[in-house]
Amino acid sequence: MLKVQNLTKKFNSFTAVDDVSFQANGGEIFGLLGPNGAGKTTTISVIATVLSPTSGTAEVVGFDILKNSEAVRQNLGLLTSEIGLYDRFTARENLRYFGKLYGMEGEKLEDRINRLIEILDMKMFADRRAGKFSTGMKQKVAIARSIIHDPKVIIFDEPTAGLDVLAAQTVINYMKTARAEGKLVVLSTHDMTHAQELCDRVAIMHRGKIVALDKQEVIFQKTQTQNLEEAFLKIIGEDEISAANQEREAQFLKKSDKPKRRFGL
Amino acid sequence: MKKVFTVFIKEIIDSLRDRRTLTTSVLMPILLMPAILIGSMKFQEAQIKKSAEQPAIVAIENAQAFPTLVNFLEKQPKVTIKAIQDYAKALDSGEINIYLNPASDFEKLVKDYKPAEIRIIQKSSNLESASANTKVLAILQVFNQELAVQRLQKLGQNPEILTAVNPVSVDIATPEEKGGFFLGLLLPMFIVLFAIVGGMYIAIDVSAGEKERKTLEALILTPVSRLKIVMGKFLAVATTASTSIILSLMSLYAAFRMFPPDFGMGQVTINLTPGSIGIMLGIGVILAIMFSGLLLSVAIFAKSYKEAQNYITPFYLLAVLPVAIFAQLPSFKPGLGMFVVPGVNAVFVFKEVLIKVFNPAHILITLISLLIYSAIAIIVASKIYSKEGILFRD
Repeated sequence: MLKVQNLTKKFNSFTAVDDVSFQANGGEIFGLLGPNGAGKTTTISVIATVLSPTSGTAEVVGFDILKNSEAVRQNLGLLTSEIGLYDRFTARENLRYFGKLYGMEGEKLEDRINRLIEILDMKMFADRRAGKFSTGMKQKVAIARSIIHDPKVIIFDEPTAGLDVLAAQTVINYMKTARAEGKLVVLSTHDMTHAQELCDRVAIMHRGKIVALDKQEVIFQKTQTQNLEEAFLKIIGEDEISAANQEREAQFLKKSDKPKRRFGL
Repeated sequence: MKKVFTVFIKEIIDSLRDRRTLTTSVLMPILLMPAILIGSMKFQEAQIKKSAEQPAIVAIENAQAFPTLVNFLEKQPKVTIKAIQDYAKALDSGEINIYLNPASDFEKLVKDYKPAEIRIIQKSSNLESASANTKVLAILQVFNQELAVQRLQKLGQNPEILTAVNPVSVDIATPEEKGGFFLGLLLPMFIVLFAIVGGMYIAIDVSAGEKERKTLEALILTPVSRLKIVMGKFLAVATTASTSIILSLMSLYAAFRMFPPDFGMGQVTINLTPGSIGIMLGIGVILAIMFSGLLLSVAIFAKSYKEAQNYITPFYLLAVLPVAIFAQLPSFKPGLGMFVVPGVNAVFVFKEVLIKVFNPAHILITLISLLIYSAIAIIVASKIYSKEGILFRD
């Protein structure tokens, strides 16, 4: 359902995503983990056609992000960390607007809105204007907005941030249901407990590259750790040391390459 | 097209729920502007009347030596004579408006039928003194004529021999044309002003506001193309600005009809023909479309509402200043080239139309040039919206 091939994204001289490739299938929750600045959000933004890749490409449900971006967006639901809503609109109106933009209308749209209000437990505030919502309420509406069109591929970037335990459980249950329905859920998070509970496979990103990609059990075995947090710290730590060594070597070479100063005419 | 309409309707509803847009696009043109304009005009009229009725305060040097002059001036209702010590100080402080300094042998010269000089000392930097100067000059002119008539009668001559020419000024401007001229000083400028101000807040709200609220990313994640999103937003801005123009035109027209200006130029009637209203509305709407595209292009560069206002202020001044200057020039005859300058061209056509001059070349050049500028503005806005660097600038 999602195929990423040699994806690279540069911002001027900075490489945010460096030759990333992976594949994820329907009926699984795929974890995209990494520290801040690892390139997760940029990778997601390129897959969602918000940013264009410098090289490489990706396919969503068979649609290429470069050749068929509108079809990619029609089949993809992305929850970003930006959970802004239209303050002068109610939660329901926010959802209705986005539903219409995804080509839904009439009874089908209203049924879908009501269903999401129920699933995400938003009845209490569905018809109130979003301007005075708490972060948790906003997060729920943003989640509903991202899946209003019932997409086949769902990418959630920190979906439980700002939610209390009960609300977080609602979102986790939704992800499990989506997986059971055969959808692909890509979960990008810092919350290793949730990741360990939910993800079938994980990819760990660091400095724009994928440094580990496998089933959780395989990763635990390779790193000789007991849980995802330990494995994550070990992988990132090792990669950090190797990156620091590489940087030192590069600087040494740079210095020794400098021509010696010549005196005379 | 359905998606464009969805974006358009959402933006219109959103702006109707926004007090800032309602104030600048609806309340200001309907209530505030006519109130300010009519209020300031009535105040001006009152000031002119007051100044005309107010007597000039005059001091005369060595007054007792010039009984003929003093007797004449005392009979004038528009002159009050006052005795002072230091005329310069009195003029400075406003204690007197005019200081008269007749020649020392004034009375003798008058009796001898010879010209007698009177120096009228005023302070032109003081408006009251300058206005009193005109009044006193006119009164002394009457004094001169009275003395001349007496002299001729004593010499047995008919005083009429002095009147060789009697110029009579006849104004053929109809009350409607006078009304059009007055409207031409203000209305065009307000139409241009509302073409910008009417769309300003909604333009910021749908672009920089969308970034500030962090809803832009969710919007461009939908399968709707960026061109359609821009078109929907653009239509909303243009509709709001056009509504603002229509409302301002209607309310100012109604206000002027109810309270016609009176600057002492006889009867003034405000009565526009449907043709002139149609031309003004047509040009006004195209003007609003052009400014909407430009406003959207400028506002999308900003990350926040506040930043957008900083970008739009110089743009606003640049657009309004030439318009304000040309709108106030009553006798300026523009060449054909002036009718391709956006904003200024609309002002000239409005001014012509208001005094019932329908010049097809001027109207056509203005319409076509504004349409070309509008198309360029829309293309520029949609190009800018396609650039990821501008949309996701940190």
